[in-house]
Order: sequence, then C-alpha cells, then structure tokens
Amino acid sequence: MPKRTATRREFATQGALAAAIATGLAGCAGDGDGDGGDGGDGGDGGDGGDGGDGGDGGDGETGVIEFGGIATVDAGDYSDFTEQTGWNVNFSSISNAPGELLSSMIAGGGREVYDILAPVGGIQPPLASEGLLQTIDTDRLENWEAQYDYWQTDEGRDFISHDGDIYGVPTVWQGDSVAYLPGETGEVTSYGALFDDEFAGKVAIEDNYTTAGQKTAMYLDYHDMEDIENPRNMSESEVEAVVDFLIEQKESGQFRTMWSGFENAVSLMAEGEVVVMDTWEPVVFSLRDQGIEAEYAVPEEGYLLWAMVDYLVDPETARADAHEEAVYDFLDWHLAGWYGAAITSQTGYMTNPSAMDYAAESDEFDEAEIRDIHEGVQEKFELGGTWQQRWPDEREAYEEHWQRLRNA
Amino acid sequence: MRQAIRRRLPQLQLAPAVAVLLVFFVIPLAMTFMWGFWPRTQFWMEPGFTLEAYNTFFSTGRVDVYLKSLRLSVISVILSLVLGYPVAYFVGRRLPEDVAFGLLFVFVLPFIISSVIRTLSWRFLLGRQGIINQTLVGIGIVNEPLDWLLFSEFSVILGLVTASLPFVIFPVWLSIRTIDDSLLEASADLGARPLTTFRRVTLPLSLPGVFAASIFVFVTAFGETAIPELLGGSGFSTVGTSITSVLGVLNYPLAAAISSISIATMLVLLGLWAYFFDLNNLVSMGGGS
Repeated sequence: MPKRTATRREFATQGALAAAIATGLAGCAGDGDGDGGDGGDGGDGGDGGDGGDGGDGGDGETGVIEFGGIATVDAGDYSDFTEQTGWNVNFSSISNAPGELLSSMIAGGGREVYDILAPVGGIQPPLASEGLLQTIDTDRLENWEAQYDYWQTDEGRDFISHDGDIYGVPTVWQGDSVAYLPGETGEVTSYGALFDDEFAGKVAIEDNYTTAGQKTAMYLDYHDMEDIENPRNMSESEVEAVVDFLIEQKESGQFRTMWSGFENAVSLMAEGEVVVMDTWEPVVFSLRDQGIEAEYAVPEEGYLLWAMVDYLVDPETARADAHEEAVYDFLDWHLAGWYGAAITSQTGYMTNPSAMDYAAESDEFDEAEIRDIHEGVQEKFELGGTWQQRWPDEREAYEEHWQRLRNA
Repeated sequence: MRQAIRRRLPQLQLAPAVAVLLVFFVIPLAMTFMWGFWPRTQFWMEPGFTLEAYNTFFSTGRVDVYLKSLRLSVISVILSLVLGYPVAYFVGRRLPEDVAFGLLFVFVLPFIISSVIRTLSWRFLLGRQGIINQTLVGIGIVNEPLDWLLFSEFSVILGLVTASLPFVIFPVWLSIRTIDDSLLEASADLGARPLTTFRRVTLPLSLPGVFAASIFVFVTAFGETAIPELLGGSGFSTVGTSITSVLGVLNYPLAAAISSISIATMLVLLGLWAYFFDLNNLVSMGGGS
C-alpha cells in the first residue's frame, strides 16, 4: 500500500469533524468498544502532552521524549531513565481503541505530538500503512534478544509486525480468560461457564467484540458448535453465527449486563451482581484485595493472548540523531529490569525477564510477587490460545453485528 | 457616520455572539450534515455524494436504537417535569428566599461529583444486594431480590430523570419566581380558587421555564451514554453509544448521518414546541411580567 501523508488541509477538516460531531450530540463521549485488555484505559482520545517535543535540537543535546500510552504502561517515575540519558519523559494518556487512536494520529496531528505510542498491539497494519510508524531496528536494542519470544509464532508476529517488518516492541504480556467466584460456581475451566444455565442472570461479558466476541468464537469452535476457520479473524458469516449465539443467550436471560471499564467490572463482581465474567485478570487481583475470593480460569479452549507494544512514531520532520538515539534508548529501557519490575508490581502483568533479576537484586520490589506473576503468565502463553485480533478484516461486520447484539 | 454607527450599534453588539455561534455551532453542524453524504475511504472520506450512510442507518437496527432513544427522552422529559415542577413551585412560591436558596443548593450538591460515580451509586441502591432489595426482602414484601430494579429500562429512566431534575427545577423556579404577586392577588380577588389561579395564571406564566427545561432534559437524555452503559444492562444502546460504536470502525459518514438525524430531530421538536407553545409570546410574558 502506498505511503500516504495527511495534508494540512486534511488536518483542518478532520479536526473540525471531531468538533462537529461533539457539538452535534451532547454527551456523546462514551469509551468506545475497541478497547482490549488493558485493565485501566485512560481513554481520552489522546490529544496528550504539550504538543512540543522540546528535544529536537542538535546531536548531543537532551530534551523530552513524548510517550503516549494507556495507563497500564505509565511507570509514573522516569527518573531512572533521565539519570541514565539526561532525557526527560512526558507521559500522556491515549485511547486504546483502534478507531480513536487512528483518528488522533491522522486527524489530531499525532505525528507531531508523540515519539512513542503504547497501546495494546495488533493495530500496526493501519498505522503503518498510513505512514504513521517507523519500523523498529531491533539491532539498536541491546535488550531485544533477552526478551520473551512468545511473539515468534504466526499470530504473535501479526501482533507486532506488518508486511514482514517489526513495528512494535512488546513490553507487557497477558492471556485473558474468565473471572469467577469459586464459592458460587466451583472451579471454572471453560468459557462455557459464561453460557451455563446454572449461572443464568449472573454472567457478564465485555461489551467488546475483540474480546468477548473472540472468546465466544473460541468456545464455539473448540466444542464443534460452529465451524469457524479462524476465531481471531472471522468471516462475516462466522461473526453473524457467533453473534446469533450470543443473542440467543442474551434473550434467554443469561447475561446480567455487558460491561466496559475496569471499575465497572470490579464492582459488578464485588456487588454480587455476577459470579462469572469475561474480563481482565487485574479484576481478580482487585477483588482479592477487597477480601473477596475470586479466581481466574484456566480455560480448556485456551487464552486470549495479547501484548502491549511500543510503536515508534514516524514524525513529519525527521528527528535529530540525538533525539532518535534517545527514543531507542527509551525503548531499550522499557525492556530492562527497573521498568519491567515497576509495571509488573503496579499492574500484575508480565513484562520482561530482567524484571525478576532486578527485583532479586534490589529492595525496591517484591521479588516473589513478580516471579509468581511472570511464571503464571508464562504458563498461559505455553498453554496457548489465540492472539487477540484488534483490527479484523471484516471489522465493519463485527461492529454491525455487535450492534445487533446490543439491540437484542 | 457616527449616527450610522449608533443606529447599527445593536446589530454590532450582537456580532461577537453571532460569530461564536457561526464558528462553533452553525459551521460544524453544516459540515456534519455534509459529511453524512460523503463516500468513505479506507480511513477517512472524500468529497462526493452518496446515500450509503443513510441506507446503512435505515437498513440496520440503528433505527430501532434511534426510536428507543427518542422514546426514553420523551419519557424522561415527562417524568422530570412531573417531579420537578412541584418542587420548583414549592421552592418558588411557598418558601422564604433564604430557605429556598439553601434548598436549591442541596439540589446542586450531587452534581459536584463525577456523573459516572453518581450513576454508579445507583447500583448500590438498586442491585441485588442493594439497600432497596435488602429492605424489601427483609420486611417480607418480596421473597427474593427484584432483578428489574437494575440493568433495565427502569433503572436507565431513573438515572436519566434524577440526572435531569436540576435542569427542570432551576428554569421552572426562575419563571415562577418572576410572576408578579399582584396577578395572583387579582385572580384571588376576582374569586378564583387557588387551583384555578394556578391553572389560569401560574402555569401559563411558568411555561417559558417548562419550555427551557424540556429542551435541556430532552437533549441531555438523547445523547447520554454513561447512564445507559452503567445502568442499562446487556448492551443497552442509545444514539450516543451507536455513534461511538461506528467511530470505532472509522465510519465517519455514518456517524455524521446519525448525528444529522439526531440534530434534525431536535430542531423539528424545537420548532413544534415553539409553534404549539407560541415561543415569542411566552418569552415576552416571562421576561416582561
């Protein structure tokens, strides 16, 4: 696909679109539905930062790296990186929804705002084909070879690459399944618990076709209830069949609600409204913190695998060499011990192998906790599943049929 | 020259307001209307003319979402007025001014916290283990918690109405407060009973406030997304959530078409209200009494 550069005229008209639609309908500011598995999405549509890179001077100078990410990847403290390189970091929140992210990059002039974008991966095809990203030169990353290599499968490679080139540096890893309250349900080992009559009216699924839709497809395919060639990238008729199944479930009163947003998910289980829920694992951690016995299922159908990745933004005007070097240093720092340990401690997600070593050598972090989390997520990737599809080929059909489910 | 400027001073004074409206309201709305007819490209759209977005709107379930939003909004307006008008009347006519101001402040208090938190708090009241269900079960009125209290159309309407009440109470209170006491005294002197005075004098003179309140509530309810999402249950859709959803797949023409239809609906309703309530007359009554 030819590289396409948005013109100034397009920036103006596209920016006006956002204003127009916002003006057109008061209160239309929902959090969308393309959001996958981050457990704490800033979700503000991503205008972030102060718009200046502040560090595009000549070689040898220092400045500011503009880092746009979802809340999960914000370490909060970047002094370790600043001490090492002299460069400061300005974190700003971006939306994790592919559509919103694309809009902010194309219409919002994101190429002039961010150096690095860090959403859940898998959306580099549209970003790269629009010329918004640079390929990653992995030879410039000292820590690259020491990373987990779970991305080295066909599906995993799809999550970080496009046309054979790597565009994303995976920094946070996880496999999603189902949270449950064992006191109410017993042990859950299948997505089938979401559709089990025994829990009718006490089940919630995420209002998101890239998570709940894909897990349902995995369930139907695994149990030969539907012939689905590829649950992570379904044809229109396959999506229709999956949604028909969900509508049947909904109309029979199986679902208490469809949730969106981390706090909403936690409160649904904490309030006892639901006992089984398709959700993120940090929901379980949060429930346990509240003294509620909650578990995360090991599903026989496999996990919904995903990773957060760092994308290197291709700026309108090329970065100075020192700035480019600092950006690569920052990517490398994301693959090193302190950042990995900090993010694992904050979120409960696996980051990079150095996190465990760093935690063992310093008093800053709980080594046992970090090791447990890493080993737990490694088991998930070894058990396998399907990687989340964030930008399905038939996304129009996904959206249209999901709307049908909402209306049913 | 100076006289010419003086003659045109009223129009010139309006110029900043007109400019603001033009730039931030009329032009964006006109562009939204135009984009609804543009063909899609992969990530954007291009100038042209097609009815594809409108075809999609009418050939999928989005019409049902639109009609549901319309129905919910009308119900919210009616219930908000039924509940809010008596409060506004009581505060405006029956309470001393200092007490009235204190009470009005109480109505504002819930709005100093986030609308999401405010909406979530309904879950603690209406849920299976919420205070209402626990009380009903505790005193034996029901055997088990009522599921329909939460994640239902009932809870959405409750959320919309309670979120709208201050937008009814304040304009109606303002219109009632401006009614000249001598008009009410004259009505009584002429032998009208209190109910007749209310029906023939107070109510007509408060209609500008009712009119404003109706618009506030309708527009708010029509575009609301957080309340249906948090209280509405399995994928409860409104026009607002529908627009957000199509933006997720970068279908800007369809988002613009749905917005245009929504805006057109509001303008038609505004026209109907203005026609039936005789807006000019109401405004002059409200402002000139």
